[in-house]
Amino acid sequence: MSPAPASILRDTPPDGGWGWAVVFGAFISIGFSYAFPKALTVFFKDIQLIFGASYSQIAWISSIMLAAMYAGGPISSILVNRYGSRPVVIAGGVMCGIGMVTASFGNTITHLYICVGVVGGFGLSFNLQPSVTIIGKYFQVKRPLANGLAMAGSPVLLCTLAPINQFLFNQFGWRGSFFILGALLLNCCVAGSLMRPICPKPTGSQLTQTNGTPKRPTTDRSEAQVNGHNTQLEKGCLENFNKFLDLSLFKHRGFLIYIVGNAVMFFGFFAPVVFLAPYALSHGFDEYSSAFLLSIMGFVDMFARPLTGLMANTKWIRPRIQYFFSFAIIYNGLCHLLCPLASGYGGLAAYSVFFGIAFGMVCALLFETLMDLVGPQRFSSAVGLATIIECCPVLLGPPIGGALVDTFGDYKYLYLMCGAVMVFAGLFLFVMNIYNYRMLERERRQEEGQVEEGCEDQEQGLGLRERGEPSSEEQGEAGNEAKKQQIP
Amino acid sequence: MFSPWILSLQLILFPLFWRGIYTTETNPSLALTVPVTTVFKSAVLKGDSLVEKVEILKPIDLELACTWTGNPNKLPNITGYWRKDGSEITNSRLTVQLENEQYNLKRVFRITGDTLGNYSCIFSDTDEAKIDFNVAAPEMDDKKDKPIVAYVGDSVAMACKTKLPPNTWLWYRANGTEQELINATTDPLRYKISVDGNTTKLTVMNLTEEDSGVYVCSAIYNIKASVSRVEVRVITFMEPLKPFIAIVAEVIILVLLILLYERWSSQRSSHSPTENGVHAEPTHKLTREGNNGMDENTTTRQRKI
Repeated sequence: MSPAPASILRDTPPDGGWGWAVVFGAFISIGFSYAFPKALTVFFKDIQLIFGASYSQIAWISSIMLAAMYAGGPISSILVNRYGSRPVVIAGGVMCGIGMVTASFGNTITHLYICVGVVGGFGLSFNLQPSVTIIGKYFQVKRPLANGLAMAGSPVLLCTLAPINQFLFNQFGWRGSFFILGALLLNCCVAGSLMRPICPKPTGSQLTQTNGTPKRPTTDRSEAQVNGHNTQLEKGCLENFNKFLDLSLFKHRGFLIYIVGNAVMFFGFFAPVVFLAPYALSHGFDEYSSAFLLSIMGFVDMFARPLTGLMANTKWIRPRIQYFFSFAIIYNGLCHLLCPLASGYGGLAAYSVFFGIAFGMVCALLFETLMDLVGPQRFSSAVGLATIIECCPVLLGPPIGGALVDTFGDYKYLYLMCGAVMVFAGLFLFVMNIYNYRMLERERRQEEGQVEEGCEDQEQGLGLRERGEPSSEEQGEAGNEAKKQQIP
Repeated sequence: MFSPWILSLQLILFPLFWRGIYTTETNPSLALTVPVTTVFKSAVLKGDSLVEKVEILKPIDLELACTWTGNPNKLPNITGYWRKDGSEITNSRLTVQLENEQYNLKRVFRITGDTLGNYSCIFSDTDEAKIDFNVAAPEMDDKKDKPIVAYVGDSVAMACKTKLPPNTWLWYRANGTEQELINATTDPLRYKISVDGNTTKLTVMNLTEEDSGVYVCSAIYNIKASVSRVEVRVITFMEPLKPFIAIVAEVIILVLLILLYERWSSQRSSHSPTENGVHAEPTHKLTREGNNGMDENTTTRQRKI
């Protein structure tokens, strides 16, 4: 789906220039968001000892942090819709910093749950959503590449944070480390300051287009007014809420397909990562070799993400990026299904390499496909809603996997389950996207047919159309045509 | 060195032959006055070298049996002998005959606290094939080579863990070559020792800088005590404060630099209005709705930070 010719206002995203600085900022922000909860596990053993807690009680810290990060999505979206990305990321960085610094003075495990888990987790969610959103505002043509580069922050920061954490722990113990990590997290504020706002909210602007990309800078449908009509803002509570968070997305076909497919996929997404080292240990390899497998995976992941972004940017793949995403998920599932066949350390290492590639591919495309489906304006709300829905499978996946391992006593079933779940999710997305692309094509042809009918009708009709519906990138609801028919 | 089946062998052997092992005998020197049980330990060698670990909790008679199946020459008779800690045990040379494609060598040793060590059976052909038995008291599980860092006024916890519970656990504070016993009952505000089967935990509270040093945990078995050392380093809060302030300063400087650069570059471009035209493409049918006047507004609005 090639972008339409730009219309008025600040519609052409720069696709470069300061955009690359923004990508770097997003790289740091996203990196901290995903890598920080995982890198904290270095401290758990010592905290467990001093607080006299069991391993599962300590593991809750990471879980609460991840849960808060995903659950904070809608709040983050609302704030981004209202204030833009920059203030939210800076606020997120400050929150994380404060959370970690207060945690370093804690004496009970509950204190850690709240400071690190809740406050830290929300702070990270205020980093994640705005970073992904602003890439959509700065890039259009090179957007998949920009997304791939930004998402590469996660493995890179994990590889740097893990040894840094170990070093800090050896030098300063866990309290000093948390204290210093609080300062390190303030670097998210630096990342946030790079995110110069773009496309400020206009009032009384007319935008729509006949096909392709509308560049309405905000998701405020109610602000899309025909000259002088201000009655939108006085409509009911729901309208006002939609001003902040676009709940009409739940009627968006592409969005629904995306969340259903992704929710299923996330059940089997993280569990193989969590259990890779124990799986290797169960085969009789020592701790260092098992941990090295994770390093291999992380290293391959680092390169797979930008490369996937580059590939997705090519003119053959970009129009069919949803198929590429489905392919990546199915490939991921196949890797897991074939994993039990791997024997010996070489086999497991090969699996780690392929898994790293697959993992990187899916992660790089995760937000790009959502942007492709709903368009940059509604993306902010979409990503918030998507993360809170994905929160459940993300958190439940590894414990269910663990329960499988405990019941059957063999990791084989875990990998088979994850593989099957992902292949199913990939196939579902593939089939549903065939349907979606076909529907979009049909709507687009109908719109084009309408345009040829008369330019004058267009102008009058535009005002009515804008008020009525979201004009997002690929969206063409069936209601469109019905409304158009009513234009006199 | 730890092969998994060795542990399963021990688990089978210990309850079968050593019923008395878990009794709490407080006096270790009673070793030779109680009836000594015999334990059988065997190993099969296929290559030319193997190491086995044998953990002993109390004085016993240990019968070590070696079987060698990997000899390529298959001579009917070879020489076999025993070594302890590298030196040959006198009068231990025997002629070993080939039976059922394997060579067997067996000997009984009286193991006490003084006779722990490395026992090897050697099959001497053109080359030597041997099995080493490391006969020792159970070792501690995790070795701590890095010091534990703690803060003044805070508390620190150290734990020691073995596979098999000892009779008692003792904690010492090491001062150079001397060791001073830590008594939790005389000093309950400072020390807390908890014992839970095969683990023990020492918590030192209200730390001061003098509490830095080496702490030794000792697992007392009938045969010998097994020790592990832990180093504790007590520091003040000033130490992490320095990197913290450095990083916060760096963050503030970077943020200011970025914001100043932004203001400077926006001022620069607002002095050259031709740049604005690049971003707005006025040619579109929608502009007919009277947007022409709006273009200027919107483009200048972009310049706001």
